[in-house]
Amino acid sequence: MDPAPVLYAIRIHGHLGATVLSAFPALVPRHHGADTVLTGPLDRSALYGVLAEVEALGLDLVEVRQLTQHRRSPRSGDSRSP
Amino acid sequence: MDRVTPRLIGRGDLLAALDRAVTKKVTIISAPAGSGKTSLLRAWAGRPGQPHRIAVVQVQRDQQDAQLFWLALLDAIRQATGTASGAEPAAATPEFNAPAMVDRVLSELADARGDITLVIDDLHEFTSAEALAQLTRLLTNLPPGVHAILSTRRDLPLRLHQLRLAGELAEIRAADLRFTERETRELLDASGIALSDAGAELLHQRTEGWAAGLRLAAISLTGHPDPERFVAEFSGSDRTVAEYLIAEMLERQPEDVKDLLLRTSLLDRVNGDLADLLTGRPGSERILLELEDANAFVVSLDPERTWFRYHHLFADMLRLELRRALPEEVPALHRRAAEWFTEHGQVVDAVRHTQAAGDWPAAARLLADHSFSLTLDGQTQTIQALVQAFPPGTDHPELALVRAGVDLVQGRLDEAAAHLAVAESYVEAAPPDRQRRLRVAIAALQLSLARRRGRWAGVAEQVKFLASPVAGQSGEDIALGSDLRAVALMNLGIVEAWSLGLEDAERHLQEGADLAREIGRPYLEVSCLAQLGFASKIRPFATARRRCQEAVALAERHGWGTEPIVAPALVTLAGVLVWTGEFDEGERWLQRTELALQEDTGPDIRLLLHLTAGILHACRGRHRQALEEFSAAERLRSELEGSHALASQVTGWLLTTQARLGMTGEARAYLAALDDERAGSGEIHNACAVICLAEGDPAAALRAVQDVLDGTAPVIGYVTVVVTYLLAGLAHRQLGDQRAANQAAERALALAEADRLVLPFAITGSAELLEAMPRHETAHAALLADILDVLHGSSPAAKDRPSPPPAEELSPTELRVLRFLPTNLSRPEIASELSVSVNTVNTHVRNIYAKLQARDRSSAVQRARELRLLSAGPAR
Repeated sequence: MDPAPVLYAIRIHGHLGATVLSAFPALVPRHHGADTVLTGPLDRSALYGVLAEVEALGLDLVEVRQLTQHRRSPRSGDSRSP
Repeated sequence: MDRVTPRLIGRGDLLAALDRAVTKKVTIISAPAGSGKTSLLRAWAGRPGQPHRIAVVQVQRDQQDAQLFWLALLDAIRQATGTASGAEPAAATPEFNAPAMVDRVLSELADARGDITLVIDDLHEFTSAEALAQLTRLLTNLPPGVHAILSTRRDLPLRLHQLRLAGELAEIRAADLRFTERETRELLDASGIALSDAGAELLHQRTEGWAAGLRLAAISLTGHPDPERFVAEFSGSDRTVAEYLIAEMLERQPEDVKDLLLRTSLLDRVNGDLADLLTGRPGSERILLELEDANAFVVSLDPERTWFRYHHLFADMLRLELRRALPEEVPALHRRAAEWFTEHGQVVDAVRHTQAAGDWPAAARLLADHSFSLTLDGQTQTIQALVQAFPPGTDHPELALVRAGVDLVQGRLDEAAAHLAVAESYVEAAPPDRQRRLRVAIAALQLSLARRRGRWAGVAEQVKFLASPVAGQSGEDIALGSDLRAVALMNLGIVEAWSLGLEDAERHLQEGADLAREIGRPYLEVSCLAQLGFASKIRPFATARRRCQEAVALAERHGWGTEPIVAPALVTLAGVLVWTGEFDEGERWLQRTELALQEDTGPDIRLLLHLTAGILHACRGRHRQALEEFSAAERLRSELEGSHALASQVTGWLLTTQARLGMTGEARAYLAALDDERAGSGEIHNACAVICLAEGDPAAALRAVQDVLDGTAPVIGYVTVVVTYLLAGLAHRQLGDQRAANQAAERALALAEADRLVLPFAITGSAELLEAMPRHETAHAALLADILDVLHGSSPAAKDRPSPPPAEELSPTELRVLRFLPTNLSRPEIASELSVSVNTVNTHVRNIYAKLQARDRSSAVQRARELRLLSAGPAR
């Protein structure tokens, strides 16, 4: 089941310049020390697309973090009374 | 892979490590982009005096069609072993049989005898799990002396546990590829860069020994007025290494070089001509050559150094920079590239760039025009990916045609029909200059669909359309349309062959085969020739046999010996052999046909297979099994719509076998239920006669075959009439009219002589009929002897006796003479039959006696019968 977009924070070592940032238009960059953190809502496919781009550009991936929890759909069973 | 750029240092330790690794069966180099994998492989392969034969393949970026990779590997192996000139160049097929391809590669490797190393670069571009599974099979079954080196950016799910456990797997990883401080020093020295030790150490630290980083730095440092400052600034910057250094490097380039790099970055590969077009300036080739000489980021793809490719990492950065710096130019660049690729026949690139430019209708037309060719090139998956790239919601009717083609290849027949309907509804509204091409394409696909479904009823219109001569076609039309025309002829011929237009079928299939040969489409050629073999049923069997054998030989040369396309030839050949009495050989070909069948093979070939198998059983007296096969064939026949070439044959055999098993009641019932058209065919008349004979009513049998004898009943071919004569003969014999029986038998022999048919005699149980014929009254004594030999040979008694082999084989001429020995012809008469002198005959007979260790004529004949020499096939 492909969940709806979830907020991710992807930390790359080094400061990303304008050129490289243009490869991640859906994400907002912020510098944290020597790293750049890219934040934005991504569904599963988009997440792996971003990671593939990170690989292709030879970037140094430090961390991938999910900022919001998965919300389970109301029909997933725990709303029924026994 | 044998040019080593001068500025690449020879990384001796690393090369030694690779040498050690390659002693294992499989070496995997797994490291991120820019780690220096490809450079290492090139340096290793390009070392002067290196002893290995190397076959190199680089997996193309975003390669959807694994078949192209495998064909490239096959080619590379052939180049490495030097067999490239001898063999047929490997050709693609629309339907790809991956396991068969791997077998082919393995057998080429086994034949190669000796050390070969396969090098597969960019393995991470393999997009499908199935392709990886096939590769795993290859790697775990490499013949002795064959090694493989794989290079990839990330670890792949290749299940190589066995190799690992056996200690036959070596790995080289990112850490191994990192430049050491010493190597960094060497790189700087080799590039003539004057940097202090401290500076070198700083550089090494900042890049962490990453090859791409160091090389990019070296480019910028070469000729730099203040290397120490450069390194200090670089070291102090927080920017990512690649971005910083590529930006630096670009800045240092002359304007025209920078412009060229940016503008051509959107291509997968570039040559001087194309680059000139995109930059609007001449002289690009020189720039590209200089770039390659200066660094490892521009690489030539051919020995002549006409095509180049940028390192992926480099190209990706350039592309981003292009989009940032010159965004308004990008669509125009794509458009210009698309035009160039179209002019040069590189369709896939052309479509991709047209799509990238956002010209969706143009892309749709381009794709539709070339989808047949692309399918024949084995690029079905690529087509599918291109189709999926069109934005949803915008419907381009021409795409329906493309979709239908893909559906057909991949076996989704209902979807194909739906898409064809959409395409058809569009044709009227299409511009007039495109209408004819669209109609031809649609007609060809409709026929292909009809064939796959076995429904030939509704295709008369398409047949008529395609069969009509083409007038007033432009030169471009003809050129573009050759693939299409060849496919159309093939489908047309097939449909005609199966619905009784055999003469038209032969003509079209031959034309299709000739055209296919001319345009270099072996797959189509084999397909047409195989179907031509099947359609040769109205020809002498020798012709059919020859045609089938030609088709099979051509197929085998391409490694398609058990592919479904050759099944019609396989099963027809089996049939011909069975009809001429070579039962064992025929059975072998039937078995090969079964190998060639797949799940989605249409009912037509299966029917033929059952029919021929049934006939074979009947010949060997196994009537129960025969009935099973004929029943299966009859069930399939009812699935096939439309007038069908084999209908009356199948039914006839079924009824005949039922009669022989004594099931005359069922047979009569079935007979009564037949419609008039079928009941009136010669084959059914014959079946009726068999039923009558089984019921003990020879007079009724004679009445049943009267229409065939006087020529009013339609027959498939003369074979039916042979059977008719034999049945008449049997009936006459039962009625006591021996003279009429002999006459009928003689007529049967006369008809059967040309092809040396044995079958009709076997299945009608005509042994007694033939034996009752006085030998001196027949003009076909040799054939008679052959047939009797087969008939006797297939009795259980003969099978028990093992026969010792002859001392020496008889020559063809001796065999010819031998076949006259059972007759009552004297030697002068034999001589006159063979148009040779009596002395020649005497010499032959002497040799025959000697070789067969016989004293006289009758013992020679006896021995020949034991050795089955009399029935060894056509005397010609």
